[in-house]
Amino acid sequence: MIARVAELCFWLGRYLERAESTARVLQVTGTLALDAGLAPEQCWRPVLAVFGERLRFASRGASAAEDDGEQVQRFMVWDEDNPSSIQASVAAARENARAIREVVSIECWEVINELFLWMRGEEAKEEYAHHRYGFYRHVRRSVQLCLGLLRSTMLHDTPLDFIWTGVLLERAGQTARVLDVHHHAFSQLPSGHQVVETSLWLSLLRACSGFEPFMKRHQGRVTGNAVAAFLLFEQEFPRSLRYCLKSAHKYLIEFHPPGTQGLPGAETVALSTRLLERLQPTALSAPGATVHGLLTQVVEDTGALCDILAAEFFGAARALGSQAMAQ
Amino acid sequence: MRRMLVPGLFDDYAVAPGTFDELFEASGTARSHFLRMFAMLAGRSAEEFARIQALAERALLNQGVTFSVYSDSRGTEKIFPFCLIPRIVSSVDWMRLERGLEQRTRALGLFLDDVYGPQRMLAERPELRDIVLGTKLYLPQLRHVRPPGGVRIHVAGIDLIRDERGTFRVLEDNLRTPSGVSYVMENRIISKRVMPEIFEQARIRQVDHYPARLAETLRAVSPEDPEHSTLVVLTPGPYNSAYFEHSFLARTMGVELVQPADLFVERDQVFVRTTRGPRRVHVIYRRIDDAFLDPEAFRPDSLLGVRGLMRAYAAGNVALANAPGNGVADDKAVYAFVPEMIRFYLSEEPLLEQVPTYVCARRQERDYVVDHLEQLVVKAVDEAGGYGMLMGPQSTPEAREEFRARILAEPRKYVAQPRVELSTCPTWDAGKGRVAPRRVDLRPYILTGPQGPWVLPGGLSRVALREGSYVVNSSQGGGSKDTWVQREVA
Repeated sequence: MIARVAELCFWLGRYLERAESTARVLQVTGTLALDAGLAPEQCWRPVLAVFGERLRFASRGASAAEDDGEQVQRFMVWDEDNPSSIQASVAAARENARAIREVVSIECWEVINELFLWMRGEEAKEEYAHHRYGFYRHVRRSVQLCLGLLRSTMLHDTPLDFIWTGVLLERAGQTARVLDVHHHAFSQLPSGHQVVETSLWLSLLRACSGFEPFMKRHQGRVTGNAVAAFLLFEQEFPRSLRYCLKSAHKYLIEFHPPGTQGLPGAETVALSTRLLERLQPTALSAPGATVHGLLTQVVEDTGALCDILAAEFFGAARALGSQAMAQ
Repeated sequence: MRRMLVPGLFDDYAVAPGTFDELFEASGTARSHFLRMFAMLAGRSAEEFARIQALAERALLNQGVTFSVYSDSRGTEKIFPFCLIPRIVSSVDWMRLERGLEQRTRALGLFLDDVYGPQRMLAERPELRDIVLGTKLYLPQLRHVRPPGGVRIHVAGIDLIRDERGTFRVLEDNLRTPSGVSYVMENRIISKRVMPEIFEQARIRQVDHYPARLAETLRAVSPEDPEHSTLVVLTPGPYNSAYFEHSFLARTMGVELVQPADLFVERDQVFVRTTRGPRRVHVIYRRIDDAFLDPEAFRPDSLLGVRGLMRAYAAGNVALANAPGNGVADDKAVYAFVPEMIRFYLSEEPLLEQVPTYVCARRQERDYVVDHLEQLVVKAVDEAGGYGMLMGPQSTPEAREEFRARILAEPRKYVAQPRVELSTCPTWDAGKGRVAPRRVDLRPYILTGPQGPWVLPGGLSRVALREGSYVVNSSQGGGSKDTWVQREVA
């Protein structure tokens, strides 16, 4: 496929996933703030950290407002200059999809376009004001519908593979950052509040759509380390880091099958292989190993993987400069 | 069927005096070919119609059937305004048009072959020679370059109007990159979706096979085996106002939509950059003007285009549709000579009328034009989209004075035509919530492969939405209608 189109596919996947992920994290945090007995800043400050947007938010002259859930949400939903905001992600996904209308299936395009038009219209503002939960649900369902349609209405061929690689790498990055920020924050809390602590770990799982899958694996035994291990390594959970990176790895091998010569993608595959080797369950049992240390490494490696992929497949000059990396 | 007996949509409809209405006789009776669906449409109330019209517009917006609005920095897109009341063409009228359009396209193709070849007609007609070779649309560097497959006008969009007596007349030949066919097909999809029962009654010829015919036509001129040829659509990019159409064509033909930067030329062959390295391209349906195709050949200052493309074309290694240089045959002054071309190359009489045209490059005609400006429509030959025009009968004395001076300074740049009273078609006026007569034109699409021309049974009916307006261009606030060509009755 055309290199430029591959790049647009990849970013379409990333922006779609990002819109859904932002909506999910905000939705879960809103619910958490209602009943966890936490101070507002313990709920909302981590949200900004997860998306790496504390500085930008502060630059709005709103640092004191980090505690204010309404201001954080307005910034993460509507701010068009914030590349992680839902508005910006949906607009970017739609712009990419429009540029490759001949590639994206008509069903999928219509869902993206309708979501975009809805976000721009009065209906969404109304829903946001009066039924916040419904608003986030609308965004999430639209994106999920779209991701499902992609797989059920498009050829399972290189363009879809690039879209899906984008989804997976974005998803890996999101899970890593959500886990890192929350694991860090929650581990700092004074212990002894068994109920509060459990509900925090559960909210972390919900922020990654992992509550029920985790329960099925652990049958009610919730600990911080079990949650972290689940989100890091669970082979069968579609948002765990290992699952995402392993699935992305399969696509990368499709792009550059073993033993081929003259095709781009050799370095991408090599880096991806090293990354997976590092991401073994045993990685946490090494002396001095911490969840934070491992995650920092994985986030860095994932970022590097995206850069190499862009350089090898999309042409370095365009790819690295043309789309803002929100990491 | 008398109108007054049927309540509903057309109750207040009055044919504008002195014009030909597409659907109603001057007496107010529905035309016979329109009767079959008349009752069903007429039986709807204005409220019901407003509802399905809104439904249609909503569907077009959701599907992103839009064009970009340049002036808006936020990249807003608008739907091309669309009226659900179709324009109907009877099978008899259509058969006549079809033959005329084929004849005209064939003659224009032969003219282009001649102009870029032996120049026989120019040798016999010195005044035509000056007009033809004098336009910037003539590309002398393509003299003696024979396009692969021998076809030059792969896709023509010939604008027709209907005068006050109902006679179809050619208004303009678009032989470069005629657009709008995607709206023909999208409008049809919407018509079928929101008024299936009416559509069913009307017995309409299909249009949805156009992309397949287009792909076949384009592959047929490939310099390689058509079965193993790569065909692409070349667009300037998503910011072009016709981007929707470019992606529509690529999508419905199942081929890749490329931008100039995706292509490069090596050893006079064209390649596309893919994730698996370069791949050879054989046929390019380009939707980019000649001037921006190849900086090496046309505009050294331009960063756009594919360097070396014209070399590959001249070497016969890639087919370009439409052929570069076609503009010389749809020049507004050359238009005046098309009936003579038909006689010269085909030894036939023209089957289609056109609009009488005064070519200001010719002294006598120029004198007549400057003396009768208030009766004429003056057009600048190198402007399109309704720009650079003087509508004489509606103009101010100052505007006429300005045009008089412009014509006398550069006569080659202008032609003039008597104003033709465009036919009208019942059209939904959303502001007033009722149906009113609005002027329409018609752009049929003609595909030409090595086997000869083929006319899509349908076309884009453009409509001047404002009361009294003659301007149907989308850039000037015009809209569109679905064109329903009726099947022959068996």
